[in-house]
Amino acid sequence: MNGLANNFSFYLIISAIMFAFGVVTALSRKNAIGIFMGVELILNAAALNFVAVRLFQAKAALSPTQDGAVFALFIIIMAAIEAAVALAIVLRMFSIKRSIDPDKMARLRG
Amino acid sequence: MQIIDIFALVAGLLAVLSSSLVAFHPNILYAAIALTFSLLSVAGLYAVLGADFIAGVQLIIYVGGIIVVILFAIMMSENIYRARFVDNAKRFLAPLIFCGLLFFVLMKLISKASFPLVQNPQRLPISDAIGQALTTAYALPFEYIALLLLAGLVGAVIIARPEYKETHYEDDGASK
Repeated sequence: MNGLANNFSFYLIISAIMFAFGVVTALSRKNAIGIFMGVELILNAAALNFVAVRLFQAKAALSPTQDGAVFALFIIIMAAIEAAVALAIVLRMFSIKRSIDPDKMARLRG
Repeated sequence: MQIIDIFALVAGLLAVLSSSLVAFHPNILYAAIALTFSLLSVAGLYAVLGADFIAGVQLIIYVGGIIVVILFAIMMSENIYRARFVDNAKRFLAPLIFCGLLFFVLMKLISKASFPLVQNPQRLPISDAIGQALTTAYALPFEYIALLLLAGLVGAVIIARPEYKETHYEDDGASK
């Protein structure tokens, strides 16, 4: 039996739990910032999977490859862009409606 | 059990606990602080996985940048200390059922799938390899994401800019 740090399923299970909690957060919060925090959890779970696969894939033993790490880097940059845009929208929403409840921003609903 | 296994166990448990707090704590400020610990433990898991550069980037961008911006946005909005969630059980019911099913399916997949794995991988420093990859194979995506970052930041500034009414300027001109 390998140690916990060398067990690939350990990372997959942690990642799946974080993903499920992220979806719960994004679906149940009545608050734009809370929804955004759920999306951050989902992105982190995906990046964790990429980094785990980078270390444990059988191809890496033959020729070391860093594809998973580069993907995780791109996910982190994406999350930074998303944070800037989402929080700008939240601030604008608050200055227009004095509230950050996404249910109140329904003017575009048909 | 080696030290790295204990570290992985602590980081994994902290990730699960703080993620559950993010999902279920009624106060958004404490949820944001729990999100800080969740991101910190993911950085620890990156370090356990031998991705030292990614762990550093996670610390700098997520914990140093995004969390500060989230806390700033929470402080800007009023009534943070009042718990406004009266119909708790009803609000959580449908997402919990959906995510329980999703988690069950994911567990089934993880237990059934057979991945071609190495048993005892080597953990080497990866910064030089990432630098090589970003300037050779991933040079074009790197430029794309730099352009996307620029466009996103300019868009964020334009969205968050306060709106000046045109009459404001006209009145100013008339009074002079």
